[in-house]
Amino acid sequence: MRPFDLLQPKTTDEAIALLARHGSRACLLAGGTDLLVEIKEGIRAPDVLIDAKHLPGMRDLVVSSSEGLRFGALVTARELETSPAVKDFYHGLWQALRELGSIQVRNRATVAGNVCRASPSADTLPPLIADGAVVAIMGPAGERHVTLEDFFTGAGKTVLNGDEIVTGFSVPKPLPGTGKCYVKHGRRKAMELATVGVAVTMTMTGDTCSSIRIALGAVAPTPIRARKAEAVLAGKKPDIELIAQCGAIAATETSPISNIRGSADYRRRMVEELVQRAITAAMEAAR
Amino acid sequence: MSERQKFNVIGKSVKRSDMLEKVTGAARYAGDLTLPGMLHGKLKRCEIAHANIKRIDTSKALALAGVKAVLTHKDVPHVLHYGSPHPRSASVTKDQYILDTKVRYWGEAVAAVAATTEDIADEAIRLIEVEYEALPAAITLDDAMAAGAPVIHDNGLEGNRVVPDMLFKRGDVEKGFAEADIIIEGNYAVGRPQPAYMEPNVCVAQWDGSDKLTLWTSTQSAFMVRGTLAEVLGLPLGKVRVLCDHMGGGFGAKQDLFQHEFLCALLSRQTRRPVRMEYSRKECFLGGRSRHPGTIWLKQGFKRDGTITARAAKVVFDSGAYGSHAPGVTAVGASALTSLFRCENVHLEGKCVYTNTPIAGAFRGYGVVQTYYALDIQIDEAAEKLGMDPAELKLKTAVREGDIAPSGHAIVGHGLEDCIREGMKAVGWKERPVGCGSAAYRTVSPADGAVRADALPHPTSKKVRGWGIGCEMHGSSAYPGIKEQGNALVNLNEDGSATLLTGAAGLGTGAHTALCQIVAEELGLEFEAVSVVHGDTDIVPWDIGAFASHTTYMVGTAAKMAAAEIKQKLLARAADQLEVSAGDLEVEGGFIGVRGVPGRGISVRDCVAPKLGIPAAHLFGSGTYMPTKSYSFGAHFVEVEVDTGTGQIDVLQVVPVHEIGKVIHPIAAAGQIEGGIQQGIGHTLTENHEIDPKTGRSLNANFVDYKMPLSMDMPDIKTIILETAPDPGGPWGAKGVGEDPIIAIGPAIANAIYDATGVRFRHYPITPEQVLEGLARRRHV
Amino acid sequence: MKRNITTTINGEARELAVETFHSLLDALRNAAGLTGTKKGCDVGDCGACTVILDGAPVCACLVLAAETDGCNVTTIEGLQSAPGSLHPLQESFMMLGGAQCGFCTPGILMMAKALLDENPNPTDDEIRFGIAGNICRCTGYTKIIDAIRDAAVQLRQEAKGGGKS
Repeated sequence: MRPFDLLQPKTTDEAIALLARHGSRACLLAGGTDLLVEIKEGIRAPDVLIDAKHLPGMRDLVVSSSEGLRFGALVTARELETSPAVKDFYHGLWQALRELGSIQVRNRATVAGNVCRASPSADTLPPLIADGAVVAIMGPAGERHVTLEDFFTGAGKTVLNGDEIVTGFSVPKPLPGTGKCYVKHGRRKAMELATVGVAVTMTMTGDTCSSIRIALGAVAPTPIRARKAEAVLAGKKPDIELIAQCGAIAATETSPISNIRGSADYRRRMVEELVQRAITAAMEAAR
Repeated sequence: MSERQKFNVIGKSVKRSDMLEKVTGAARYAGDLTLPGMLHGKLKRCEIAHANIKRIDTSKALALAGVKAVLTHKDVPHVLHYGSPHPRSASVTKDQYILDTKVRYWGEAVAAVAATTEDIADEAIRLIEVEYEALPAAITLDDAMAAGAPVIHDNGLEGNRVVPDMLFKRGDVEKGFAEADIIIEGNYAVGRPQPAYMEPNVCVAQWDGSDKLTLWTSTQSAFMVRGTLAEVLGLPLGKVRVLCDHMGGGFGAKQDLFQHEFLCALLSRQTRRPVRMEYSRKECFLGGRSRHPGTIWLKQGFKRDGTITARAAKVVFDSGAYGSHAPGVTAVGASALTSLFRCENVHLEGKCVYTNTPIAGAFRGYGVVQTYYALDIQIDEAAEKLGMDPAELKLKTAVREGDIAPSGHAIVGHGLEDCIREGMKAVGWKERPVGCGSAAYRTVSPADGAVRADALPHPTSKKVRGWGIGCEMHGSSAYPGIKEQGNALVNLNEDGSATLLTGAAGLGTGAHTALCQIVAEELGLEFEAVSVVHGDTDIVPWDIGAFASHTTYMVGTAAKMAAAEIKQKLLARAADQLEVSAGDLEVEGGFIGVRGVPGRGISVRDCVAPKLGIPAAHLFGSGTYMPTKSYSFGAHFVEVEVDTGTGQIDVLQVVPVHEIGKVIHPIAAAGQIEGGIQQGIGHTLTENHEIDPKTGRSLNANFVDYKMPLSMDMPDIKTIILETAPDPGGPWGAKGVGEDPIIAIGPAIANAIYDATGVRFRHYPITPEQVLEGLARRRHV
Repeated sequence: MKRNITTTINGEARELAVETFHSLLDALRNAAGLTGTKKGCDVGDCGACTVILDGAPVCACLVLAAETDGCNVTTIEGLQSAPGSLHPLQESFMMLGGAQCGFCTPGILMMAKALLDENPNPTDDEIRFGIAGNICRCTGYTKIIDAIRDAAVQLRQEAKGGGKS
């Protein structure tokens, strides 16, 4: 690997100061499962890694149906995945976590890393956006909060300033009658990068869809909400035709690229198909 | 049958002799070696598909602290070599230099560095500046065969041919087609799968004070490495020693010599220090060897009853930038079409073409994977047109005892028919639910899980299922293409144990265990009493290498011959000691007994052990076996599920039936079959090394985008092994099994997809996107 | 940028001098001399370098050696409790054909150990899910799954105090 120094600050202030001092020469290291690969492959060449793993207060995981979900930036994907309450109340996120690399990778990888890397195909982003997650950010001026939906500005780009650190996430508690689903499309059943990722969080009041959020991955430079598709179902009684219409409209909201993993056309078709499947599954879960 | 009951060691899944080391982490692979003062080598690879090298500036690299040597084409012997084993055989082409003044594919090495650490070597590679004069590149077969195409090798052949076009003929195809009731013609295309062995190519080179080179390397053919290194470096064989203990898979590709093996040796000679060089995973793709991509035009005539009246084919293989195994693969692949399904009138052309892409070489299935994919699918197509069940048509036309095989030898036994029949029985073929595809022979109404997609309103259950059958046969050993031989030496030790010396490589198949079982069986010893020495060209008898399903069949017979020689000496000695005739003695479980007199006899140990004043017996045997030719057979039965909403294909279950003669180690044999199926599912559905048709750049030289089936993708496999057509040339009738299982699975899957969807695919890999396109086309029809 | 770390490897505190930019995998293979852990891809895609770090299976190629200062690492060399006393997984892999070339085997064994530590009675699907990040190119996985299932039975019997039957 290309040589770099490793700094291990003990406080968030110290980490922020180091980030400010080293600027673009530095990268923040959490799980390292993406960053170290990028360094090995020459995509990034930092002189300094600032290891976040010794920062205090970023390993808490609190989850319940009454309080919602809060977790620190150093909570690993595997910790979230193995939490029964995450599986129960944040099922889409749980499904996405199980799709993220291998268990070995998830034992190191963090959701914070997945979020800050801002890959359009990252699995955990659509369900967190569908669930309305909020990112807590610490910087020289103190703490600020940004919804995850507004966090991404482009492929690999976020609202984060160079001297800011993501410290954790909070996700609203699920309303009664809410069902969630994440559907990933890849050629294999594991160890895949999503060709398309679809997350749906929907709340049913009786037979009526009282609210729905649809988030899509790998079909635009950032994960996106399919708002027009949501509008098709919100306040309506979903049936097969309406759900099909919802899928078709969601496909029009995307701007996918063609690459080795799939053509733009195929990705759009998968959005249409998988949005229907995700809604159907979420609706069943909501009952 | 009485013969079978007498076996004590073969036919049993004994604990493999290489396993303890492997499960404890103690097994030493070439890359595990560290020597005092060892340097680390790296290769500089080009990023252009076809170019002359105008200038290489190594000054910055040489100035970097820790860099000990840099080699370019100016510093290495300029000797044309085969880059492959079997020098002077018909299988390979002499067209490579260690480093050349031009590059012919994106990723070819242009320079090598040795430094004190890998990190410094990496940095030095970045500091080497190369100026290229770009040449027009021919990336695809069409590019390379077009009039006025860039010439990749100036070998005097037109159209970028690696070798002159080949022709295999029998009978009269014109007459055959004239007699046909129906004719089917189609173009088939095959992708570029990689062997993707888990152990990257790696070697360590060291020169001793007598100017002798020792190379530890991950190879399937240590003697070929020795021979080619000696030839290219101008050394006598006695000055080159090649060592390979354990190796992490090769699947054919590690028969070749790779650039790093030459360059590691040269860097070590220049620095007078040991040098280690290991490919990254990316380099295994760029600088490795793939299966030959290509196209197959195939036309066959059929009588109404299914008799095949004529077969014509044009096979075009893409060799990549160098010849490697092109002649062998082309000949074996094209000539394979003379057989499998009987046809008296054949006219088969084989062509092999250079392109500016990574090198295709030997890979499990050796040309046959491609041509039998086309052949088997076309038989399925014919069955539909003839209104026959595909398995019945394959059974009717299957190669039979006495038919002439591609090698020119008569087929022994009815292996293929047995496989088809047994598999049909095992899967309940005739009672199976039939998918929505081939309506002609549908006798059962669609059952649960095998229903038409459009009959299902629910968007989450758009899945349809289908069954397919694929067939194959493959020769054991590369004879007669290569006049190879199997060799073995066996020593009987003074404690009654035996040591087998073999040049056969240990790829991980369990071949050494099988050889020890054969020696133990023949000598009447317990399996544990036989140990093996291998992987050192200074010690063990010559071997061509572990490929072509050669080891158990050929080296096994040689080992049996060597053991038999010892047995004869042993019984003669025991006869003296027991004062009986040697003919009255038999040996079993380490005890030499007098036949018919229970309890009378002497242990092997006591027979040979030293006694007061008498030294131990020195009993040894050697065996050299020149083969005939034997064929193993297989039929794969596959159930797939196709998601008509996404185009995803899921292989649900595979029932492979293989006829391989006498089985030496059932678990190891089944392991070969199941592993071959994994690789075959891969190349049929997901694996393809993608090369950008404009630039020649690799698009997926990693394990994320080169998609091998993993634990969750693999179906249940219910392996059935038959012993119905033993070959007199193999030990107790044993034949090879290594190549076979990767061949039949592909067409079986393609045929099952057709059964499920009614969409016929004539290429691999078959992608979900293509499935959706196919379904859409079918709806429009 | 050398750094001295103390890492407990297979129960033994090892003082190692490592570069800040070296992976745990390179440190194990080179500095610690433990070559049983294999490098198949070096980017976390193949699982050949799986070791157990503070109880959790990880890809040693995706951990910096310097990050393991003060940590506990178990490698394939530490899977057996004592020489001559194999872990049931090792026995079942030997007997049931769970290994062929052996290159992926150390990583798969360590992943399987972690899996069975967490779930002593896994279904076949749970085994497949557990080793999804371990590439084996030789076996088709059939016999690996057989071997893990078999070892789980043995381990459950041992846990009951029954030992091996």
